[in-house]
Amino acid sequence: MISSSSSSSSPSSSSSGSRKKKMKPGLTAQAETKWQTAAQEQVYGRRLLEALRPTGGAPAGPRAVKEAADSALALTARGQSRWSRAILLGRCRPRRKLLLKAGGRIRRGRRQPRSSAPVPLQQVSAELRGKKVRDRLRLLGRLVPGCRKLSASGLLEETADYVAALEMQVKTMRALTEALSAASLSAGATGEPGS
Amino acid sequence: MEPGGSSGVGSVNSGTYTPEIAESLRFEEEIQSLIDPSFDASSAAGGSFTALLGLPANQAVELLHHPGPGEPPASAASSSPIAGDLWRLRLVEQHAVTDTLRLPFGCSSTFPSDAALVERAARFSVFATDDSPASSSGGGLSPELKAEPPDSHSPPTLPVPAEKPRRPSKRKECEKSKAKAVAKKSKSAEENTSAAKPAAEENTSGDKLPYVHVRARRGQATDSHSLAERARREKINARMKLLQELVPGCSKITGTALVLDEIINHVQSLQRQVEFLSMKLAAVNPRIDFSGLDHILSAECGPLAMGSGCGGGASDPATWASETAASTGGIRRMPPPQQIWHLDLVHPQQSSTVWENNGAAHPHFLLSPATSLVGYDPASSVPLNSNQLKTEL
Repeated sequence: MISSSSSSSSPSSSSSGSRKKKMKPGLTAQAETKWQTAAQEQVYGRRLLEALRPTGGAPAGPRAVKEAADSALALTARGQSRWSRAILLGRCRPRRKLLLKAGGRIRRGRRQPRSSAPVPLQQVSAELRGKKVRDRLRLLGRLVPGCRKLSASGLLEETADYVAALEMQVKTMRALTEALSAASLSAGATGEPGS
Repeated sequence: MEPGGSSGVGSVNSGTYTPEIAESLRFEEEIQSLIDPSFDASSAAGGSFTALLGLPANQAVELLHHPGPGEPPASAASSSPIAGDLWRLRLVEQHAVTDTLRLPFGCSSTFPSDAALVERAARFSVFATDDSPASSSGGGLSPELKAEPPDSHSPPTLPVPAEKPRRPSKRKECEKSKAKAVAKKSKSAEENTSAAKPAAEENTSGDKLPYVHVRARRGQATDSHSLAERARREKINARMKLLQELVPGCSKITGTALVLDEIINHVQSLQRQVEFLSMKLAAVNPRIDFSGLDHILSAECGPLAMGSGCGGGASDPATWASETAASTGGIRRMPPPQQIWHLDLVHPQQSSTVWENNGAAHPHFLLSPATSLVGYDPASSVPLNSNQLKTEL
């Protein structure tokens, strides 16, 4: 997998090595398994901490924290999913994203109304033709970053990955806040030794 | 049919497969944009693809070329736009020649210039990605398959079995998201020439041609369009099922709209939770002594062979030693992260003393973060029994 090969910055621990083997058979279910490993939580935790450190000097607004958390999450995704790339691109330079989108993709605006039936030759199934389903799919596309104009199958796959990633993010952030708050409480209680 | 698209496919097929991954990606992207209005080019921008990965360009290209011993087919698939249509034939290749044909791909990253060979090879390579364990009977079939390039060309519309939808997702992870659209295009281009043959082929293929696994059930149209549509539907259904498993409480809901409703609610609630937690984290943050964080990272980096980047490595053996002394018996349950979290707020110089103090005198206190972090790192507590933290950065 690209993630395993590209972990030049990360030591391939045995857990990541075993993950490599597990991810090979190419199941979409690995979307969740890859996010549920504890190593991923640690990776994300470290990234989050690193991201939060600079803001320690200045009072960190909650929005900044959220953006840092999302960027860290997208980084942890290693650019394999559309939403992660959209997040990272959106963060670094908003104009860059627009440029990428606008460059030579003029047809996009015209085809937008048919976003649920991307390929003109195909006939969508009866279910997918239903208005409710289409509306829901569009809503889902707006929720997941970078997935507004996506076919149903791509959108569903991105959503699966995104949901797994979000769950991991929530878990990690919760643990982090609890640990930090508990630690800060203790430090407050016992007082800083030696200071 | 857009001539631009077909010419694009054709030009790629014509075999200048010099491993210009970026170029092929651009082709693929253009083709997909021609075909697929919903294609989001920003995510697969050819030139910036490698940048998105955060890798140096050559490394990413190399990855695509040689992602690993088991994945030359994946690289082949990702580089060839037509491989997109071939995921359909996945079924087929189960028995296939994937093994035999995989070798050439494993050997070199450049593709033969013969379009037919390329297409066939790419097709089988895509299959090989997933079917290496299953393709045991490939040997005898290779002559058969090689004798039927036109036939293998024509039935690209084989319906997809249930496991197929996973394979395109695997391809997706190879950075190839909308190849199916491309596939449709090239497939329909082919079918215009041999419309009758594929139908006939597919009807009887299940018996004769082992790699042509047709799910054309009796009474169902074997029209290329309906087959493609069925394949796509099955793919979407498989993905929906996965999502249902992922989102709690969706398994018992029937009906796509309701399930989607649930999924949307779940995503919204997760996003709200993230916002809330980030607010909480921001509230906790000002009270954190961030110099202690350096110690966290270094303490966790130290025992690992991570590299000299982690500062404070000298203090780590001392801290680990004290940690092992402290964590005898009952505190074994608590992985070091708790103590490290605790160290977060303590000045690094005081770490060892604090540790021993807390280890001896306040085991109960350390247990409270333990309860929260045990959930956080349940799996890592096992390796941590050896006081080794496995982290990856």
